[in-house]
Amino acid sequence: MPTLNRRETDDEFIAACRRGDRAGLAALYQAHKDKVYSIALHFFHGDAALAADITQQVFLKLITGIGQFRGDAVFTTWLYRLVANTCIDASRRRKPEVSVADLHLASTASSPAAEWERKRLTETVQAAVAALPEPFRLAVLLRHFEELSYEEIAAALECSTGTVASRLSRAHRMLAEALAPVRSWFETKE
Amino acid sequence: MENTHISELLAAYAEGELAAPEHALADAHLAVCAECRAGLEDVSIGLRAVAELPLTTAPDAVWNAIGRELDRRADRRRAARWLAAAAALLIVATAVWYVRRTPGERWEVEGIASLHSVGVGDWIETGPMAEAKIKVGSIGTVDMTPHTRLRVITAKPLEHRLSLVSGRIHARITAPPRLFFVDTAAGAAVDLGCEYDLVCDREGNGYLRVMQGWVSYEWQGKESLVPAGASCRTRAGHAPGTPFFDDAPAGFSEALARFDGDGSALPALLATARQRDTLTLWHLLTRVTTEADRLRVFERMVSFAPLPPGVSRDHVLSLDRAALRQWREELAWTW
Repeated sequence: MPTLNRRETDDEFIAACRRGDRAGLAALYQAHKDKVYSIALHFFHGDAALAADITQQVFLKLITGIGQFRGDAVFTTWLYRLVANTCIDASRRRKPEVSVADLHLASTASSPAAEWERKRLTETVQAAVAALPEPFRLAVLLRHFEELSYEEIAAALECSTGTVASRLSRAHRMLAEALAPVRSWFETKE
Repeated sequence: MENTHISELLAAYAEGELAAPEHALADAHLAVCAECRAGLEDVSIGLRAVAELPLTTAPDAVWNAIGRELDRRADRRRAARWLAAAAALLIVATAVWYVRRTPGERWEVEGIASLHSVGVGDWIETGPMAEAKIKVGSIGTVDMTPHTRLRVITAKPLEHRLSLVSGRIHARITAPPRLFFVDTAAGAAVDLGCEYDLVCDREGNGYLRVMQGWVSYEWQGKESLVPAGASCRTRAGHAPGTPFFDDAPAGFSEALARFDGDGSALPALLATARQRDTLTLWHLLTRVTTEADRLRVFERMVSFAPLPPGVSRDHVLSLDRAALRQWREELAWTW
């Protein structure tokens, strides 16, 4: 039996949404909610309440704006443009963000395999990502969670592919610099 | 590329996003450039670090909240339809009542010793220190500040019309829409049930600022709809200025002044717009001169407020009047 790829299933759910069928939205929500939530969560430095609010806003915008989505664009590009704009708008209303200089990094070199150290490491990475400038942060999170191509990220962030490549290169080098105290852990990682 | 640093391409190189010829050129450069090799190591560290970020399951509460909000919106739309029908009925009833009870066609004037009432054709002028108040039939009042000159044009039950030559007036009107008008050299302010300031010089240059309700400023078939808390500039010989909220960021209102003047600054306008500035953006849909600009305005608007059911992108971009009106009515909840 042939299986549907993600785009085909999205198209089916989008058509249902356009008919006002809430089950269509439920299906789109189920397919994308964790990635949208995770992007918002890491964009806002682990703020779960704000990430939940962003996720809610994104899907409400999706259901009311689905009529203006045209099939000539990839649905995920349109969806993640909503995510990017919603995150940026919320960020403008929010208190100043953490800067790289504010980070208090913990060295995990002593026993990197320990669970608590792994958790601490994740928190450290999360803080370093949260300290990236907004456009860099969004490019990194879209690439990591949604595995968008550079072209798709460019469409979602309304910039050129070259800009995406440049932002990602700079973002990863900034992360390496911010994570210098725990660099050895990543150097030994497969 | 062998002699050119590739620091901006290192992530694309590491993630296999470069086309084969570019990748080969990057390889050649990396073989001879220690600086870029070091950069590539940093990028690899960054990529490995980001791989540590876990996918997190969205809480169930999010979907429950979405369901509640959709239910609330459906209720609100039903209520709005009933309210609109009731309001229409009330307007008709009020108009009938008003026509039957309107008193004579002279209006009382306070504040000028030699003038106690005015009728059609009469002039009223305040001096450098004087203020005056006109009782406009039974529908409201107009306060005149010093150095204001105006004339009564029409004083009928269904049309109260003044001509403001220069100066500043403050109007408070409690009547059905489109019974009170103020003409200036740059257009006419049409009352839609409201309180507002209107300021202009002899050429019509000035502004309209609305405190309550709505005012329509009209000139040669062009219109600016201005709600409470918003203003629009007026200029002689030009369409009314695009309305904007008084609390808009300085950069936004400055960019709007440039747009109204010479059509420039659209990118700055779009970049600094907030959600409630869809008031301004909605007006821009019919004011931009190219389809590409209209598409940019549209895309910025839908990033704030998606289209209501039944209104499509094509409707809006083709300036379908009914669709634009329906979207404006939906947006007005946020204005």
